[in-house]
Amino acid sequence: MQDPYKVLGVSANASDEEIKKAYRELAKKYHPDNYVDNPLSDLAQEKMKEINEAYDTITRSRKNGGQAGSSGYTGGYSSGYSSGYSGGSAYQQAGGTYAQIRSAINAGNLQYAEQMLDSCPTRDAEWNFLMGSLYYRKGWLDDARSFFQRAVSMDPSNGEYRQALNMLNGAGSPYRQTGYGPPAQQGGCDMCDMCTAMMCANMMCGGCR
Amino acid sequence: MFGYVRPLAPELKVKEFERFRACYCGLCHELGKEYGAAGRSILNYDFVFLSMLLWGNRESCDYCRRRCLPGLFRKKCVCSSAPALTTAAGYSVILAYWKAVDNRDDSRGGKRLLARAVCRCLNRSYKKASALYPAFDRSVRERLEALGALETEKCPSLDRAADQFALLLSSASEAAGEDARRVLEQLLYHVGRIVYIADAYADLEEDLKAGRYNPVAVRYGLTSPEPDDRIKAGVRETLLSSVDLAAAALALLPKSYWTPVTENIVLLGLPDMIDRVLAGTYVTAGKRLPKRPQLGQNGE
Repeated sequence: MQDPYKVLGVSANASDEEIKKAYRELAKKYHPDNYVDNPLSDLAQEKMKEINEAYDTITRSRKNGGQAGSSGYTGGYSSGYSSGYSGGSAYQQAGGTYAQIRSAINAGNLQYAEQMLDSCPTRDAEWNFLMGSLYYRKGWLDDARSFFQRAVSMDPSNGEYRQALNMLNGAGSPYRQTGYGPPAQQGGCDMCDMCTAMMCANMMCGGCR
Repeated sequence: MFGYVRPLAPELKVKEFERFRACYCGLCHELGKEYGAAGRSILNYDFVFLSMLLWGNRESCDYCRRRCLPGLFRKKCVCSSAPALTTAAGYSVILAYWKAVDNRDDSRGGKRLLARAVCRCLNRSYKKASALYPAFDRSVRERLEALGALETEKCPSLDRAADQFALLLSSASEAAGEDARRVLEQLLYHVGRIVYIADAYADLEEDLKAGRYNPVAVRYGLTSPEPDDRIKAGVRETLLSSVDLAAAALALLPKSYWTPVTENIVLLGLPDMIDRVLAGTYVTAGKRLPKRPQLGQNGE
């Protein structure tokens, strides 16, 4: 087994607080919510398991003999994990063909799913949602969004459809940075002036050295 | 469609910036060594990114001091030749050659003459590279052909057109080790998608004027080169979704010497490039690196 400290990216003499922080950050990064319908979700799942195990090992060894103390934390994440994955009740409720298409998409059997969808006689909200999922999985995000939008407008009450659309809109994405701001903030002459001023200042700093 | 994949320099540590520059120079020297002056001329940021991704899980990089034309009087610190640099150099020659062939067949007048000259210059380099990497060569040729066909039939789906270029780039993942290949395939797919769509957006004005096919224009039914905010928001959102997926894939790559730089490129460089392309302030021509980290647009 790998060195648990290395897995969490901390040194062996890090404090409990530091370890918890490192664990939390990693768990957020590899959380299944970030890999819903992602073709790499199995790898993220493995990674998450590795992190959970490493954290468990460290906390247990530090508590000298495996008290239940650590499981509160791990439990929190792993339960979110499994419930995220089973996909809720909609999976089980969906009618025959759609259920088959769903499992084909989840298994990554996209060609088969596409054929099935093409041969469907009806074009209802669920059909649009599944088309969206299929395209999302393929990485065709613009088309995926159109289908999700159609699914939501046909059945606005369905939480799953809305969630899928929100995901494409970047809601809950851990990667969206705010530092450099939307285009509205950019450009404009005053910014140029500021840049020039700072570059001049920078040059002078270099000269003084 | 090159030069879109760069780091956001102000957010790099100084040592990371120096390393990135050394890698850039290293690729240039590699191209020069393997493919001569013609090879050097096609150096671009995108393949620097690729060489960093193909580095594998090696935790180090060897450096040496080399002289070159822009640095004639002072030797520069340069990454020594490495397998990843050799592969990236070969791939970039193959892609540049087929792009030039494409241009030669598609354009007219002066541009055609220029493209023909480029083809001739790259011919020998291409022969060498394609013998070394036949699989990538085949994939590039097929994808560009398919893309050409979609462009002729004026494909209305932005994704379908971008798909071919994205698959082209993702086929570069075959050079990676077994453990990283699948992840890299997905990562490069989305980087390719972003580059293709951003490039199409940047070319809107030129394409509309010349009456050429432009996937963004067809997708949104544009007739004037100044899209409204709704369209800009749509393009931005679909590109940022690709950034999300690229970032999710990057997180699964084994840690390497270049991880801090590649993370900067995907998480900060790509979104910054997207915003600048949409605002019409992105410059692709200035291929050479700035002497020192440039200030961000917000003066940060």
